[in-house]
Amino acid sequence: MSNNDHSNHPHHNQDHSHHHIVSTKTALTVAGSLFFLTVLTVVVSRVDLGVWNFPVAMLVATVKALLVMMFFMDLIHDAPENSVIFGAGFLFLVIFFILTASDLFFRGNVYVKAGTPLVATSGRSSLKNPWISTPELVSHGKELFSQNCVTCHGPEGLGNGVAAAGYNPPPRNFHSQTGWINGRKPSNIFKTLKEGIPGSGMASFGTLPIDDRWALAAYVVSLNSERPASDTQEDVAKIGYDLKTGLAAGGARQEEKTIPIEFAIERMAVAEPAPAHGALGANERGFTSVGGQLYQARCAQCHGEHGEGGVRVRSLGGMPKAYITTAPLLANRESLKSADAFNHVVENGLTGREMPGSADLSGGELSELYTHVKWLAGQLH
Amino acid sequence: MSSTHESAYPVHHVGHHFNNASDEFEAAKQGMWVFLVTEILMFGGLFVAYGIFRGMYPEMYVEAHHALQMKMGALNTIVLITSSLTMALAVSATQRGKKQRAIGMMAATIFLACCFLVVKYFEYSHKFHEGLLPGAFYSNTEITNPKAPLFFSLYFMMTGLHGIHVLIGIGLISWMILRSLRNEFSENFYTPVELVGFYWHFVDIVWIYLFPLLYLVS
Ligand code: HEC
Ligand code: HEC
Repeated sequence: MSNNDHSNHPHHNQDHSHHHIVSTKTALTVAGSLFFLTVLTVVVSRVDLGVWNFPVAMLVATVKALLVMMFFMDLIHDAPENSVIFGAGFLFLVIFFILTASDLFFRGNVYVKAGTPLVATSGRSSLKNPWISTPELVSHGKELFSQNCVTCHGPEGLGNGVAAAGYNPPPRNFHSQTGWINGRKPSNIFKTLKEGIPGSGMASFGTLPIDDRWALAAYVVSLNSERPASDTQEDVAKIGYDLKTGLAAGGARQEEKTIPIEFAIERMAVAEPAPAHGALGANERGFTSVGGQLYQARCAQCHGEHGEGGVRVRSLGGMPKAYITTAPLLANRESLKSADAFNHVVENGLTGREMPGSADLSGGELSELYTHVKWLAGQLH
Repeated sequence: MSSTHESAYPVHHVGHHFNNASDEFEAAKQGMWVFLVTEILMFGGLFVAYGIFRGMYPEMYVEAHHALQMKMGALNTIVLITSSLTMALAVSATQRGKKQRAIGMMAATIFLACCFLVVKYFEYSHKFHEGLLPGAFYSNTEITNPKAPLFFSLYFMMTGLHGIHVLIGIGLISWMILRSLRNEFSENFYTPVELVGFYWHFVDIVWIYLFPLLYLVS
């Protein structure tokens, strides 16, 4: 067949008619350019261009990749649809990246707008006595649980979700009878969901509609083989639930101070100018002492200007959003009991608790900081 | 489909579902491009993970990347680009029917690929020694950032997957040398060599991105 009647000249044979052959000269020129660009990218990386270092490095890499594709792989002489196919691969990669990144970096912007309540959840329960479990409540709670809680508490509520290892203290095992901070009656769990456990991985889910929170409470209670005592009217009143109106305190939550952890770290990386005096009035010491200034520059964004906590340090994603918040730096905290314990925490940070380490502080600075934090703790009640 | 033809070149038979050899060649080539797209997306997952985590922990990347040996990475970039050059020359030699030259160039490519792996071996053993290992195996104490194990997970996943591609490339090019020796290629039929060439250049392109991403973080 056609194979047999080939002409001798490679450019004009039957089989690969018009197929272009890369000349040695082209190949050498391209390789030379690639060497040059490699040296260039190394040199440029040693020059500080600020935010431009990364784009420049990627640009050089892309030029190199294009040279390889166009000349070594000879895409310029290939059928145009092959360029489209290969280009589409890169295009999908870019889409893949942009969508993933935008979810990660901009999701928080959807709900958090300064001054407005997070979500206008209805503050009124439509149920008669929502702290009394019903099969419907439990099954609705189960559904919500699988959407909001399994990553930490695990599918069976054993506290062994995929993300559990990242938290210290670990997520609660709902099958256990001991170790509960707020307690395990429905009203206690409702309170936990409203406020979270500040200072731990347990975020506040106060943005969930009120009946959803009761449903979750009913489901969590149902997991334990040993049922807790039933809620009394006092228990329910204690958490601010109005029996007559069905109105719960904290239905529409107040806006909390928000600072994403990435931003906090960024702020720590650049030396902060000391904030203007008097901005906070009373807290003089906070601005005049070395420790106070250090605290304002490097700790206040997460622990609050006065160590009062309540600042969101991490968003859990999800809809509606839930945030992990800091607890007040009270004097009875383990790490405020001795300078050694304090230095250890501040230098190394706390894994599983979103507290970054600051290894660059000198011994003198650490002790100034300790004095200041102790002073702040003394001011808190 | 036989005809034990006593010509210098064993005849390649065009598949009966193609009109002619040219169509067959174009189809094979297009298939290779589609395959390379799947490769882009396979590496793509890792590149996206890299990008997302870099956005989350930029200072950790800066600190951790100092543990990589930039000179070795740069050396390997030069080695791999040179191997792409020899592979391109091997393909054009095959297309021109210059068998000896083609085999020589492919052997040079394999040699350079082995150099690449030797350098990689030294880099890896240095990392092993320093405890700069992925995730739970990480035991280095010099890097202070607690998230650093993540960087090394990415480093080993990305360079590891790339290294596997280099190994496969060595296998494929050896196979092409063997087939060349068996006179299977001529200026009329060289599809497999050209496609292996594509594969090899792709491996080069991946490294072209890995080098600045892993070794030149700033
Ligand atoms: C990001 C991880 C995480 C998610 C998501 C999470 N929790 Fe928790 N949860 C924790 C941690 C950590 C603790 C332990 C806090 C402690 O011991 O200080 C905890 C504790 C609890 C407790 C025990 C409180 C007490 O009184 O001791 C309850 C109840 C609870 N979670 C319910 C839920 C429910 C319901 C959801 C879903 C709406 C949920 N959690 C989602 C991490 C999480
Ligand atoms: C990115 C946010 C962030 C920054 C910045 C930050 N912290 Fe923390 N810190 C946390 C979180 C989160 C915890 C753990 C939760 C909690 O205790 O509220 C924590 C815990 C602590 C504790 C331990 C409390 C205990 O339970 O024993 C101390 C002490 C502390 N921080 C001091 C500091 C000091 C001093 C600075 C400034 C050098 C600082 N932190 C900067 C987020 C931060």
